Parts: sequence; C-alpha cells; structure tokens
Amino acid sequence: MKDLRKLPIYLFGVLALGFASCESNDPEEENDGEVITEVTLNFQELDATGNPMGLVTSFKASDPEGIEVGSSPIIQPVTLTRGKTYRMTIAVYNGIEDEDITEEILAEADVHQFYFLGSAFTSNILSISYDDPSGDLIGLQNILSVSSSPGTNNTQMQVVLRHDLDKNFPGATNPNFANFVQAGGETDLDITFPVVIN
Amino acid sequence: MFQKLWFNSFAAITFATVLHYRVILFLAAFAFIAIESYAQQCNLILRGKVLHQENDNAIEAAYVWILETRTGAVSDQNGNFVVRDLCPGTYTVTIQFLGHKEIRQTINLTSNTTSQTFRMEEESFELGGVEVHGHQEAIQTTTAVSSLYGDALLQSRGESLGESLKRIAGVTTFSTGNTISKPVIHGMHSNRIMILNNGIRLEGQQWGAEHAPEIDPFLADEITVIKGAETVRFGPEAMGGVILVNPPSLPTSKKHVTEINLLGATNGRMGNISASHQGGSKKIKGLGYRLQGSAKRAGNVRSPGYFQANTGMSEYNFSGSVGYSSKKLGVEAYYSFFNTELGILRDAHTGNLSDLTEIIENGRPFSNPEFSYQINNPRQVVAHHLAKIKSHYHLNPEWKLNFQYGFQLNNREEYDRRRGDLNARPSLDLQLFTNTIDLFLDHNLKSNWSGSFGVNVIQQANNNIPGTGVTPLIPNYDMFNAGLYAMEKYLKGPLEIEVGARYDYRTLSAARFVQGELQEADLSYQNFSAFAGGLYQLSPNFAFTSNLGTAWRPPNVNELFSQGLHHGAAAVEIGDPTMVSENSLKWVNGLEYESEKALVEFTAYANQIKNYIYLSPTGETFVSLRGTFNVYEYLQADAFFYGFDLSGSYTFSDRLNGYLKGSIIRAKNTDEGNYFPFIPSDRMDWGFSYALGRESNPNSDRITVGNLVVARQKREPDFDLAAAPPAYTLFNFGYQKKIQVSKNQLNIGFQINNLFNTEYKEYMNRFRYFSADMGRNFLIKLNYKF
Repeated sequence: MKDLRKLPIYLFGVLALGFASCESNDPEEENDGEVITEVTLNFQELDATGNPMGLVTSFKASDPEGIEVGSSPIIQPVTLTRGKTYRMTIAVYNGIEDEDITEEILAEADVHQFYFLGSAFTSNILSISYDDPSGDLIGLQNILSVSSSPGTNNTQMQVVLRHDLDKNFPGATNPNFANFVQAGGETDLDITFPVVIN
Repeated sequence: MFQKLWFNSFAAITFATVLHYRVILFLAAFAFIAIESYAQQCNLILRGKVLHQENDNAIEAAYVWILETRTGAVSDQNGNFVVRDLCPGTYTVTIQFLGHKEIRQTINLTSNTTSQTFRMEEESFELGGVEVHGHQEAIQTTTAVSSLYGDALLQSRGESLGESLKRIAGVTTFSTGNTISKPVIHGMHSNRIMILNNGIRLEGQQWGAEHAPEIDPFLADEITVIKGAETVRFGPEAMGGVILVNPPSLPTSKKHVTEINLLGATNGRMGNISASHQGGSKKIKGLGYRLQGSAKRAGNVRSPGYFQANTGMSEYNFSGSVGYSSKKLGVEAYYSFFNTELGILRDAHTGNLSDLTEIIENGRPFSNPEFSYQINNPRQVVAHHLAKIKSHYHLNPEWKLNFQYGFQLNNREEYDRRRGDLNARPSLDLQLFTNTIDLFLDHNLKSNWSGSFGVNVIQQANNNIPGTGVTPLIPNYDMFNAGLYAMEKYLKGPLEIEVGARYDYRTLSAARFVQGELQEADLSYQNFSAFAGGLYQLSPNFAFTSNLGTAWRPPNVNELFSQGLHHGAAAVEIGDPTMVSENSLKWVNGLEYESEKALVEFTAYANQIKNYIYLSPTGETFVSLRGTFNVYEYLQADAFFYGFDLSGSYTFSDRLNGYLKGSIIRAKNTDEGNYFPFIPSDRMDWGFSYALGRESNPNSDRITVGNLVVARQKREPDFDLAAAPPAYTLFNFGYQKKIQVSKNQLNIGFQINNLFNTEYKEYMNRFRYFSADMGRNFLIKLNYKF
C-alpha cells in the first residue's frame, strides 16, 4: 500500500481543482426574446369592390418593458367610421430584441391564431373575417366592417393571440370564437382596445 | 418559548383523534406494566447494552454470562439485556459475540438496578480466513427515525424518491403532476429538508416546487428518514428532517453479486431496468467495488377519463464506487450521475390569469391527446454529477478521524413553449457547482461516552448560462458556509442522552442584470443551533425518545431575488433581499413498542418557526399585453407546526398481518392567524396481508390489500386559485412471490394501484388545478440476485 502515502497529495489535488471551478461567472445581460412590446393594428379602408382607398391609419398598444412589474401598457383607442369596410392587418414587434414577431407567427401559422372578441362583436357593431393571404386562418390580415347603425359611439375590441391551439377544434375557425380556451394552447396576447365609432 | 411549546403540544394532544388517544392509553398501560415489573423487592437487576465499538450499532444475540451465579442473558435486537434476581455483591461479567474480543469486567452491585454499556471490539485479523467487515456508518440519533429497506423497498422500486417515501408515516409528497414529486416531512419540503446521497448533501436547485430531487432510488439499499431538526449534525436547512439515501456498504470479500430489477407498468406504459454488480479483489483483502445503473422510460400518464398531454419522462442513471478497508484505514471513492428529461403537462402552462381560471373551472385539461412517449416543451432536462472521496482512520480503538470531500455539478434546463428557434433554447439554464468538505473526529469510548466534533465547509457557485432570451429568475451567486460542531452522547444501559451544538457562518454574493441594470448584493448570515435528546428503553420492547432541537435556514436565493413572471404559473413573484434567517425549535417525541406480534411507533412533534418564509398573494393583479397576472410576494411570519404520526402492524396469525399508518399535521401562521398553503391533509393507509405459501415457508407467497384514506384539507389559506379538492379513498392490491432458483432468490411482484380507477385530486399536487391524478396502474416487478 505504498500508493496510500501519496493519497493526501492526490486528495488535495482534486480539492484544489474542485474549488477552482467553483466560482460564479459575471452575469450577462439577457434580452427577452419572447416578449411582445408593441402591437399595431393597421386599418386600410376598402371601397365597394374591395380595392384600397385613402391612407392607412394605425393604432398601437405598447409596453416597452414587456412583462415587468411596475409598468402598464399604453393602448391607443381605435377610431373607425360607421358603414365602412377596412382591411385590418396586425403587426407584432419585440422592441427589446428588435424582432419582428409577425414573421414568426406567419412561419408558425399552424399553431397561432387571433380571436376578436368584446362588445364590438357581441353587439354587432363590428364584424370580422379572416383574410390571410396564405389562406391559413391566422388573423394577421382581416376584413373588418363597421355597422352603419352601431347605436353607440364607444365600444371595445379584445384582441387575443392564441399559441399552440388545436385549429381543428369545432368552432375554432370562427374569428369571434369565445370559447377559444377549449381549443387548448395558451394566450400570447390579450389586449382590449377602446373603439370609437365616428 | 419553551413553555409555549409545552402548552401547545399539550393542547394538541387533547385535539388528537380518538384513535391517537387510544394508542396513548394502550402504550401508557404497557409503560406501567414495565415499570412495575422491576420494582420487585430485594432482587437486584443488571441491565446493559451491547454495541459495536466501531459504529455504535447494537449487537443482537451477544452472550452475557455472570460467572459467579452461572446465570446469563442474550442481548435483544436493540443490544439490550437484563439479568435479574441478583444479590448484592461483586460479579464478573463476560460478554461474547462471534468475531469480537471477549469483554470481561468486574461489577459491583449495590443499588437496585445497575446499568452499563459494553462496546465490543472486532477481532477479525487474528483469525485466518475471516472476512474483513465493511465500515457501515449508522446514524445515532435520539429523534424519530424510520427506514425503508428490504421488502418494503422492493415494493417501492420503480417509483421516484418522493413517491417511495410516502410509505413512511409522516412523509408525504409535494408534487407537480405525476412525474415530479418532492418529499415532505412533517409539512416541510424543498430547502427545509435535506437529502443526503451517500453522505453528501444533495445540492440541486431544490428551491423550486417543480424541481424534483436529483437522485436515483435504485442506488440505495436503505432509505432513512430522520424526522427531527438535525441542523447540528448536517448543517443549515435540515429544519424539517433529513433523508439519507444509502447504498449498501462496499463488499470486502471476493464474492461477486449481481442484482437485476425489471419493472413494467401499464399507466404511462413505463419500463424500468436497473442492474448492479459488486465484488471484491482476490489479491488485496478489503478492496471492493460496485457498479450500478438504471434506465426508465414512460409516456403520457392516464387519469381515469383521459391522457395527460406531454407527461412522459426518461431517466438514465449511473453510479460506481470503489473502496479499500483495513483495520485502521478506510478509503472510498464514489461517483453518481443522474440524468432525466421530464415532460410537463401541456395544459398546465398557461399564458395569463384568464387562461388559468378557465382551465380551473373546467376541472380537467382542454386537450384530448392520445398516448405518446414523445416529450415536448414544456419540459425539463436535468443532469446531476456527484463525486466524493471519503476516508477514515482509526487513531486507536476509541477515536476515529473522518474526512469527506464531495463535488457536485447540477445542470438544469427548462424549456417553455416559445416561438420558432426559441423552442430549442431553454428559458432557464442553470449550472450549480458545489464543494463540500467534512472533517470530523468520532469517539466511542469504552466508558459510556461517544460523540463527534467536526468542521463542515460548503462552497457553491451558481451560473445562468447566457442565451436563454429570458431575464434570469435567480441571479448568479457565490455562497460560502462554514460550520463548527460538537455532539456528545451518554449511554448507560437503557438510557441514552445526547446534546450537540453548532455555529455557522454564511456569505452570499449575487449579481445579475435586470433591464440593463446590474444588481448586486452581498449578504451574510450567522447562526447558532443546538439540540438535546434522550432515549429510554423502558423494557426490551418499549422505548421512549424525546428530542428538542433548534434549526435555522438562511433565506434562499429565489426568496431574496425573484422578480418577474414565473413562466407557466401565470404569477408574478417578488422576492425581498432584506429577509432574515428562519429559526425553528422542533420538539419530537416518540414511543415505540415492539413485541413478537405487535409493532407500534407513535411520534408527536411541535415545531415553532420564527420568520417562516412563504409566498403570499398580494391580492393585486398585474396587467400586460399578454393579459393579467396575479402578484405574489415572499413574506415572513411566525409559524407553528404540530402533528402526529402513527404506524403499527399486528400479526394475527402465521399467515395474517395487519398494518396501519397515519399522519396528522396542523400548521398555522401565528402572526396572521390563518393557514399556509400546501400543508398535507390528514391521511391513513391501512390494510391486511395474507401469506399463501406452504406451511414451511408461508411468506413465499403473500397478497396485500391496502386502503388509503385522505381527508379534505379544511385548513385552507385565505387565497387559493381553487378550493381544496374533496376527500378520497383508494384501494391498492399487491402480490409478492419469492421463488428459489438454485441458490438464488427471484422476487416477483404484481401490484394494482388505484384498483377501482377512482378519479381524485390530491391537495399536495400543484397540478390539481389542471388535472385529476393518475388512474389505475398495473405493475409487474422482477428482482433477481445472483
């Protein structure tokens, strides 16, 4: 057992090695890649034949810090005109990472879908249908019509983005599907825009 | 405080169920009989205890002989013996036990009862061909201890550590779905209990409710639960108790043994294999080794009505050790690797508060998946390496010097459902290094004293691996803890008294970036803890233990620094860096009665905790573009825990056996006068087993029918996402067969858990909000040793 005499040397060698590796690194800044900081609704008025006319108006919901305690989102009211039809597109952006999330949603069209709820739809002030160029039901592009006799000037539109849902769930093809949770998945966006009808 | 404890425990007993009351009366009756039996007039009694010099383990069947009177006794399983009807005078006592040096001692009997402890030294080397004994360490404590070994451990094979330990009264689990479970001792879990993997305190990311202990239960041949506050012995955080996962001692003979376990289960279509091989060297006496490995794979778990999406798991573990043991020196090197991938119930990962309330209202997942082995996001990938070197040296027969060094590396990656390439990147990626050093001096004096003095050093570094794309939940940090302790035990016949004290100093320095700002914190904590305990063996089959111990736990990193969204839980959690250490005083009392037919263990405890840290809902919600979240903050309040554990068995006949295990816990926030969340509800497991084997060996075949009854948790916190689920009762069936294959034994087990496929939700499962627990499960277990 001659080797045993060297044991303390080996032992302290291992110890030194262990302790040397045991120091924490300097922290690195982490940019939140998942967070959405800006959601923009773009409204392009369409004429009777479905051709664009006039300028695009945009309304934004933003929360520069993403999901962080202490800040709350700023949501601009959406102003629309009665009796008109719009092409509504949605742009989703991560200002922390300077990332266009719209593209990511398009790339994962099979697991993303927008739903449009709130009094604007339940009171038949607005009506909406999916109009995504790819033919998928996503809701990044839609046709939105404003009733010619809305009965009120103020209403609300809730925009929900679902992730990981079962698109074949009965009723899930309806953009106003209130029971979207039943199709599974989780919510990535849930913003209620005030709507003003002129 | 001590007085208050007294009062509270007494009040507690009055509130105990009739059942417990009866047991106390029953035990008290025995105590009375026992005391009366040695109050016989005139006759003197010699009582004693025979122990191994080496490790203080009791020696059963040592032969005690008094030369003058030619009377004697044989020590029982606790090492105790009694010689009665002695006249006053001087006697020569001899004690003999195979392989040990004979003790010959003169004793002068004058008083009524004389007690003496005898420690026997091993003889081993003088005898040619006698095997060198392994140095198995025993836990010497006067607090309540329960172990899982032999047949009970065999029946638990295939379960996680947490699940296995449910077989011990007073131990439950805190789980996250059916794949992640953490042991709960007397209402405490996570960083309030300690798990030791072969003597090294397991250092993973145990702060998380969804972080299961990184340990393979197959590596153990015995799992021991200490239910007392054991901070003095094991260091800070062992406030609720300690779990020791101990591999068998290394072989020192050249005999080779291989053990194989094969398991299968229908629910989750689980397959599990484990193999171990151990042997000793022919050339070098005392050199032994063991290799052990296990693999487990399971798919989606089925609740009675549906499959739970993405609840599969896979696990690969390996451990190896080599050791040398001689009369004076013992050296052991050990390495274990634990690696698991766990799927998290898809539906439990919610985007915001309205998602969460909808699914809670629904009572079950919205998805209706098929069976699948596939593990998708959300999932966890955890790897844990543990390496240790241990050695001891006998300075002389009474003093032993011990050294132990352990290195651990824990890698935890948690993947969320994200978009695009982010799915391949973990949202939480932590690397935790831990070094532990123990240096201690044990003594087992020939007189009545034994004890231990030592130093213990822990050094830890935690790193967030950059690139997650998520602000880290906990910072990078360095932790250093040094402790100095001393314990001493006095043993005289049926009486054992022990005391101990410890001083700890801890520093913590943490740093991280939050929103581009560097946050740094340097904190330090110091604490003193102590315990005192005693054991009194009232009669050979009746013992009483009592242990009063203080313990402390510095606030954990997550409790200090959490800030932000707990992904998937739809909760924003806020830590508090000004938090102070928790301090507890736990008093555990145990009564144990053991006779040929009956075994009863009753434990009563009270635990007063100052500055108990808990996560409390603020009642506020936080609004973001993703929707609304509940806000929780870490708070400190004084807490009082008390409860009872009862376990017993009774042999009705050669064939029929009955058993009963139950536990009651009460925990209250004494500052606010309300209840803490996730405290186990009252429960009882009872059943019968019947031996079917032949007359000569009835236990070769045995069926067991058990019934688990769990009450509803009526003591709910003021705020909970959902009310506590209703009470439930489950029936379990088991069949064990032992077959002799030439000289070896084959154990076959067949079990049906949740026999009637009852739909139930366990209060202690965090996923009760989303899904019912596991439905019926058929298991088959084979064990073969050759």
